[in-house]
Amino acid sequence: MPSEPVPANPLPSDSVPADPPPPARRSFLRGMAGGIAGGVIAGGAAGAAAGYAFRGDPRNPAAVADVTAIDGRLPAVPFHGKYQAGILPDPQRATAVISFDATATTRAELTELFQTVTDRARFLTAGGTPAPAGIGGAPSDSGVLGPTVVPDGLTVTFGVGSTLFDDRYGLAAQTPAHLVPMTPFPNDNLDPAQSGGDLILQLSAGNADTVIHALRDIAKNTRGGMQANWRIDGFASPARPAGTVPRNMLGFMDGVANPAVTSAKTMDSLVWVEPGAAGEPAWTAGGSYFVVRLIRMFVEFWDRVDVYEQETMIGRRRDTGFPLDGDSLHATPDYANDPNGDVVPLTAHIRLANPRTPRSTSSQILRRAYNYDRGLDQVGDLDMGLVFTCFQQDIGRQFEAVQTRLIDEPLVDYISPFGGGYFLALPGVTGPSDYYGRALLA
Amino acid sequence: MLAAVRTPRLFSAAAAGALLTASLAACGSGGGPPPNEITVSSNQCGGSWQLPGPGWHTFEINNQSTGGGEIDLIDPANGAVYDEEVNLGPGTVTPMSLDVGSGRYAFLCLFDDFSPLTGATVTVPGHTAGAAAILPVTYNDLIPLAKQYQAYTEAGLKVLARETATVAADVRTGHLAAAKRDWLTAHLQYETLGAAYDAFGDFDDEVDGRADALGVNSPKWTGFYRLEYGLWHGQSVKELTPVAATLSSDVNALLASWPAQQIPLLDVGLRTHEILENALEFQLTGHDDYGSGTTLATTVANIAGTRELLSLLRPLLTPRYPALPAIYTGLTQFQSLLEQQRRPNGTWIPVSALPVRVRQAIDAACGQLDQELSPIASIAEPRNTANAF
Repeated sequence: MPSEPVPANPLPSDSVPADPPPPARRSFLRGMAGGIAGGVIAGGAAGAAAGYAFRGDPRNPAAVADVTAIDGRLPAVPFHGKYQAGILPDPQRATAVISFDATATTRAELTELFQTVTDRARFLTAGGTPAPAGIGGAPSDSGVLGPTVVPDGLTVTFGVGSTLFDDRYGLAAQTPAHLVPMTPFPNDNLDPAQSGGDLILQLSAGNADTVIHALRDIAKNTRGGMQANWRIDGFASPARPAGTVPRNMLGFMDGVANPAVTSAKTMDSLVWVEPGAAGEPAWTAGGSYFVVRLIRMFVEFWDRVDVYEQETMIGRRRDTGFPLDGDSLHATPDYANDPNGDVVPLTAHIRLANPRTPRSTSSQILRRAYNYDRGLDQVGDLDMGLVFTCFQQDIGRQFEAVQTRLIDEPLVDYISPFGGGYFLALPGVTGPSDYYGRALLA
Repeated sequence: MLAAVRTPRLFSAAAAGALLTASLAACGSGGGPPPNEITVSSNQCGGSWQLPGPGWHTFEINNQSTGGGEIDLIDPANGAVYDEEVNLGPGTVTPMSLDVGSGRYAFLCLFDDFSPLTGATVTVPGHTAGAAAILPVTYNDLIPLAKQYQAYTEAGLKVLARETATVAADVRTGHLAAAKRDWLTAHLQYETLGAAYDAFGDFDDEVDGRADALGVNSPKWTGFYRLEYGLWHGQSVKELTPVAATLSSDVNALLASWPAQQIPLLDVGLRTHEILENALEFQLTGHDDYGSGTTLATTVANIAGTRELLSLLRPLLTPRYPALPAIYTGLTQFQSLLEQQRRPNGTWIPVSALPVRVRQAIDAACGQLDQELSPIASIAEPRNTANAF
């Protein structure tokens, strides 16, 4: 965590006369630990013994604990890398997606905001013991995870929306080539209050308390720099039966046919920003376009539809997840032998989304959907559905091409997209001295 | 109205100097104590102990006395406190974690009914930065500040009494436009007295209570918000005359009772962030807008109340809280943001009508200030000392 930085932009001196002169500029970080503790907050090397940490030294990396021993929690996902670590993995059990608008008043403050998010993400994903507060204020940590912060597989995915590139921070010339406001599609019912945002943060982990802990930590440390717009929590179910693919709230397996994340070549052609592409600024290398769509599912209505009709709309068996023309979960539907849709209807969701033609290959997305469940609507129906997220190289060529094919599919009667946005997940943080968006902001 | 509670400390200064009696609990069985165990009792404060060097360290404080007490880790040269465990139960072991840097360390034991004891001094050599020790603020430090605040409040209540009398006259004589204007002046005056609400006791409910539990039609609902609701919802002169008169008489009763009231010493530090915590919760959400749309003006008044506390505390905070100048900058920027929402004719934009970006900037600024002001509650909390420094 940087200490009080060198003043970059003196503020206008508009204090009332009784006040002491203002410092050169404000800092989101200055409230941390009351500004009292001389020691910095521990980074990824913070020590922690399994269970209750009685001794840990942030200056001694050897003290890093085997936190996997704690309550079956997941091990740490390495934070540093060319790409952000939360993009390729399968959905975790718990996630939260939060949109923020930047309230930093200068480019320097925006940079400081990104540095702070980086520092907190670095600590939270590695785990460790939070700094003791002494008598100088409230504890530095919420305590939600107990005295030792367990990593629990936490990933932090941080992205930027098109509105960040307006005239506030002088970033217009750096706008990513494919970053635009989210397009409303014909069957959408978008709520502006739950759409868009300068910044997007997705936190995913093995347990909901880990996600909440990370959110509270990041929000507390960026209090003046960004203001939350909208938020949705999601979860991924266990695969049932084991060895299959988790189901959505319609009862169907979701995301069966995803491109192979183990193939670097496939990821280079479908997920990561294409270096040197027309209009693509160099700083975006290592990033990925990130689409979030909040989709209500009218589950009561759906549950009143017979299963054959449901399967016809989806194109898969509900129980097994097999395509209607196949005999295994990952069987490739053979649409060439079913040109009139006698087996898999031409309007089935899986057939429209991925028609398996040579032309459609480049429109594949990396689909990462979570379920959401958040109470009731005005008529007492259950407000649940899908936090649809996907990653891709080009939103127009991929998500929008898929979504265009899906316009007016039979399923639209049972779902209603109401929010979300288009973002660029930033390039990864490559090491201890790097930070989110450095190549953009430096 | 301001709800946070902080318990007064177990040990009172008056207890110091009471008779010292030995009461050493029997040592635990088998094996030696862990190397980082610190044993305290009514006649021993840490015994002989060591630190391996700089770094994070957790002491295990083993209270072998038969009574409760407090133990502080201090710099024995000046009594500055690194850390404290305030409520040590008898026979308990309590961890105390600290980022230890180069410096001098000693434990100070403050037990009920016993004289303060300072244990052995341990020195960590070198120049490694650790958690800073903070000079304790004492009851004696705070008493004059509370008196000054008492006087500030009394002066403010005198102004308020005149202003509410004006509002009552406006309403009684049927000048409701003037009543709206004068209501705002008086309400903002009240909202600058933010540290005193607890001391106001039931008067605060009578003068500035919300409709929440009562409902807006309840005859039991009185005060500024009740009058605001009536003035901005077209209620008649006849209906509002007793409401305004009651407000005026309640303020006069509060003023008359004021010399007998006391500001709790804890409140001086505590309220420095609670005033703006409440502004965020009740004003910036629009919760307390009963029709006038002036909650941003109320927030400006709350800033004035916060500034008053900070200026009283400044001599104590300056050597103890390096972020203080930045807080002043933040308050100035926050106030400026709010004042930009005042229309040229002097009326205020209700929070519900603010453009999203403006509202975000205001909310972020307030939240940031709450964050930065909050350590003052701990720093300015009155602490016991051994009086030896």
